[in-house]
Parts: sequence; structure tokens; C-alpha cells
Amino acid sequence: MSKTVKMITNNKNKRILIVDDEPDIALAFKIGLEDSGFVVDTFNEPKIAFSNFKSDFYELLLLDIKMPKLNGIEFYQRMKEIDKKVKVLFITASEIYYYEKIVKEVFPLLGAKRLLRKPIKIEVLVRSIKQELGLFNNNNNNNESHSEYSLSS
Amino acid sequence: MNKLLQFLSKSKTISSCGDYKTPSLVIEVKDYLEILSKIKKSDIKLRYIVDITKDNVNYCKELIKFADEVRHLDGIKTNFSVSESEYIASSTLSQELYSPEPFQQIIYSNVPDIVEQQKYVFESFWNKAILAEHRVREIEEGVALGMTEVIQIPSKTVEMFVSLIKSAKEEVLLLLPTTNAFFREEKLGIIRYLRDAAVLQGVNVRILTPTNDVITKIIQNMENDKLINFVIQVFEPASDIKVHTVTILVIDKKESLVVEKKDDYKENMVDAIGLATYSTSKPTVISYVTIFESLYNHAKLYEQLKIHGKMQDEFINIASHELRTPTQAVLAYSDLLQNHPEQRDAMIDAIKRNAMRLQRLTEDILDVTKIESKTLKLYKEDLDLSILLSTIVNDYKNNAEGREISDIILLDNEANGKHYIINADTQRITQVVTNLLNNAVKFTEENKECGSISIRLEEVKNADCQEVIINVKDAGTGIDKEILPRLFTKFATKSTKGTGLGLFICKSMVEAHNGKIWAENNKDGKGATFSFSLPFSKYRD
Repeated sequence: MSKTVKMITNNKNKRILIVDDEPDIALAFKIGLEDSGFVVDTFNEPKIAFSNFKSDFYELLLLDIKMPKLNGIEFYQRMKEIDKKVKVLFITASEIYYYEKIVKEVFPLLGAKRLLRKPIKIEVLVRSIKQELGLFNNNNNNNESHSEYSLSS
Repeated sequence: MNKLLQFLSKSKTISSCGDYKTPSLVIEVKDYLEILSKIKKSDIKLRYIVDITKDNVNYCKELIKFADEVRHLDGIKTNFSVSESEYIASSTLSQELYSPEPFQQIIYSNVPDIVEQQKYVFESFWNKAILAEHRVREIEEGVALGMTEVIQIPSKTVEMFVSLIKSAKEEVLLLLPTTNAFFREEKLGIIRYLRDAAVLQGVNVRILTPTNDVITKIIQNMENDKLINFVIQVFEPASDIKVHTVTILVIDKKESLVVEKKDDYKENMVDAIGLATYSTSKPTVISYVTIFESLYNHAKLYEQLKIHGKMQDEFINIASHELRTPTQAVLAYSDLLQNHPEQRDAMIDAIKRNAMRLQRLTEDILDVTKIESKTLKLYKEDLDLSILLSTIVNDYKNNAEGREISDIILLDNEANGKHYIINADTQRITQVVTNLLNNAVKFTEENKECGSISIRLEEVKNADCQEVIINVKDAGTGIDKEILPRLFTKFATKSTKGTGLGLFICKSMVEAHNGKIWAENNKDGKGATFSFSLPFSKYRD
């Protein structure tokens, strides 16, 4: 428990936006991230998330890829035009090879580094986000790659 | 006769031509037969060309015994013999067939030029003629054995290639070895010509070719999809079909022309080709047809396999997305539950909801597996359809799980209160109706202004059977035009949620009950109606 308290201190006021068309998953991630001290907003419809998006407000976007009307990649492409600094983590329940080409060719253009895979443990998700935000010591994190797909793999 | 004897006595080689009457003459006229016997015993070399027909075949068989070699030339109408230094011609045209009269008119010459000319004429005929034994077999066995010819001159091959294609009446099979070969044919106008032949003369044309982007585009531009008798089947290098060396053309399953490729980089066919073999011989032509057909089927199977592989891939991707999504929710809430007792009930509800979703998906995947492996089993019993439908609708409303369900009305007016007895599997019919209701509700929710969903029964009687049609009508968003043609196939969905397996399963279930399923957008432009038919045995008493 003391570890959790320490995290809260670290992550205080770091705002995260989750866009996932599955309400149950978006809510579970929100609760899990809030437990770690992040401030989290969620949207289930990318178009509504887009119209409510505030520039320079979020540190990181956690985006599902396969969503109706506007997929996660397209969503982030548009966000980057408004907010150049905002970081991103993509997450998907699809087969990873399905997005292999996108990861190799589109991610570098977007400045995206990782594609996380569902199902993911809340603690692995928290760790990945902290790593992305530079809040975590990289050396402590080598054993968690089984649940994510990175450019170096 | 004397002239003839003199001619013979000085010759070492004699080359003779005769029409269809000649064989009977030389065998029946005693003097001629004697001459033939002498030749046979002498060192004189005798070559004979005649027209072997059904009527003279027996005489020809006799003639073969006396000559060194006899050949057949269709319809030849000349009678002459030529030796090293002399030429002698006669007439049989006015003579009756088999009349044992010697030749009446004789032309003789020993002028070297004339002799030389006639030798040339004979040699030309000789080269075109086929073996007499071959022709005799053709006649006696009643089969057209045809012949095979090697063509050495590329321009002649090209000429023959074009004229063969133009002569096709029923079928053209064309196998091209390389993409460049396709371009050469295209340049010659062959591909376009063949398409016209298919459209205008109803010739069945099949072309087998390797492809690249340009060829794929050419094929697309020709809009071949609309034609059933013009097919360009492509094969890919990876498909194991390797015919790099020859072009094969088969016309009407009667003639084949096989052209060797010499230099594939040449743009014109004349420069690119080497030797060619033309054949009308049935075994040869049929062999090429078989080669073509097996490569053609191979290419088609490979293509289907690729589509199948792509569909399997798609299935795995959709199925894994659909399996992992509820799994993620179940795992996440199980994790969070202990730290959030205040949200216990909501989290347990979420776990239950997602576990049920997992269960439904598992059932769907199992059903598809059963359908595809043809191991689906039905437990049929006699059921009252009206009672079954009202039970399904009531259960559906009770299990709405808090969702807003539009009114579902069970219309009984057209059935006039009739109770249809169907022999069916309760569980499976419930599955079909529930699935149709789920879709109706889902697409009605998207179009919030619309009204209720109705289920209406309709009776159809014809000579063979009596059927009851169950119509599920909604006033929702209607069926997407893109999806409509493949509505009942696997993965036909535009939604990011769901596997697109539901209607595929419905179709299989209905068909397993000897029924049919179909759907259309409503004529008033609002929503769609899904219908399925089931045979019924009787009305309830």
C-alpha cells in the first residue's frame, strides 16, 4: 500500500484522456488510473471526445484503435494538429499483426511509440503510462513487455 | 502403255501422284499391276501420293504393298509421274471409277526444265501429304487422327496464330507463359479480339496468364466481370504454376498451336518466338486441353485458398477482438473489486455482463464451427409456432437488462388466430428470432425517433408444401446497401462491435429446418424486414 501512496504523489494532477468505445473498459481503466493518482476523463465516442478536446490540457491520451466512425489513429492525427505536445498510448484487443504495418510506418510519423494489448493488467497499464510520461525509472520496467508491443521488438 | 513401260525401264526413282480413282486403276488393270510387280522386284524406288477415301481404301492397302512409301493428300486431282529425267501425265477425270480401262490421254516430256518443275510440284505435295497407313487407320477406325506439323518460320506461326483464333467457333484456350507474352498478345489485338468473339459470337474464351499491376488494370478496365464466357484467370508466381517456355493455344478442342518462346524481352511476337508445333491430332490436342485445364483449376484453387486464408485471418482477428474485450473488463473489475467495496455491486454487474457476452460469443463460435464441419444436430419436436413466438417475445422483454426496448408487437391478424404446428428445434428457432429481434432493437436504438418492432405471420401454400413466413419488421436505420448483398455471410458487419456471425448462424439454422431467410429495406424507406420461412405440417386442432 505504501507504494501506491508514493505513486499518488508522483502522478498528481497528470491528466489523462481515455477514448474507448467500450464503456465498461473505459470506466475500469479510469478507476485504475485514478487509484494511481492520475486525473482521468473518458469518452466512448471519439467524435464527442474530439469536440470536447481541450488543447494543452492532457498529458497523455490512451486510445483504443478499433472504434466506430473515427478510429484511434485518425483521432490522434487530428489531436496532434491542435495539441503538438500531447503524448499517446494506443491499445487494442485486435490481433497485433493486424497493425504491424501501422506500428512500423505510421507510429514514427505520429511520435507514437507503443501499442498496448488487451487484456492488460491495471498495474502494467499504469507502469506503461508512467514510463511514457517519464515518471518511471526505465530500468525497473524490463519484465513487463509481455503485454505490449513496442517498436524495438 | 508402251510409253509408260519405256518410262519405267529407264528410271531409278519414280514419284507418282494420283487422284482417288488411281488406286483402283493400277490394281484392276492387269498391265499396270504387272508393272507394279516389276517395280517391286526391281531396285526402282517408288513413292506414291493418292487421295485415300472410304471407297478406295482397300485398293490403297494393295498399292501400299507395291510402293516404297505411299502418302495421302486430301482431294488431290492430278495424275503424273516424274523420274530423274522424264515426266509423264495422264487423265482419269473422265474415266469411270473402277473401270479397268487404261489411261486414255498421256502427256510426256523429257525437257529438263519441265521435269525439274514437276519434281518440285511433287515434292511440295509430298511434304504436305500424310502417311497412307495413318489415313487408312483413320478411315478404318473411324477416328480423325489428324496430323502434327512443326513450323519453323515465326512469321508463318504468327499468321497461323491469328487465323486460328479467328476461326474459333466454340472455344479458345490460351495459356501465356509470361507477362511479356500477355503484352505481345495485347499489342497484336488478340485479347481485345477474343473478348469481342466472346461477346458477339458466343465463343467461350479462357486465358491463363501471369499478372502484374498493369495487366491487373487492363483486365479490370475490360470489365470482364459481366461476361461468363470470357475469363482471364491470373496465376501468381507463388502459386507453383511454372510454364515459362511455351504459349499454348487450343481452338475448339480440335487444333492446337504450341509456340516456343525464344526471347521474352522482344516486343513483337515474330521476334520473340522460336519453333511452333501445330496439331490436329486428337491425342495431342486433348493433352494440351488437359494441361490447360489442370493449370487453370490449379490457379483458381490457389485464388480461392488465398481468399479462404484471408477470411480465416479476418475471423481470427474479429474473434480475438471480441473475446479479449469482455475478458479485459472481467479481469480489470476483478482486480479493482477489492479496493473499491463501495462500487462492489456495479462492478459485479459489469463482470456478469461481460461474462455473458463472452458466453454468447463462445456459443456463436461453436455454432459456426458446427455449421462448417457439418456436425450441427437439431432436436426437433412438434411445436405450436404462435405459442413459441409469444414465449420468445416475453422472455426477450424480461431479459432486456435495463436496455430501452422499443415495443415488440406480435401480430396475429393475418394468421387469423391459426396455430401452426412446426417440426423444429425450440432452442434454435428461439436463437433465430432472438437474433433478429436483437438486430431490430440495435438498429432502432440508432434511430431513436422510430417506433415499434412487429412480428407478423404469413401463410404460403403451393403444390409441394405449405409454409409459414415469420416477418420481423423494424423502423430503424435499415440495411446498409454495401452489406445487403452479403448480409447472411460471415463477418458481414459494419459495426465495430460484434462478429458479424449472427445472421450467418440464423441462415444456417433456418436452412437446417428446410426454410429460407431473406431481408429487405422497407418500401416506405424506414427500417427493414427480415423474413424466414418454415414448413408446417398442420394446424393445431
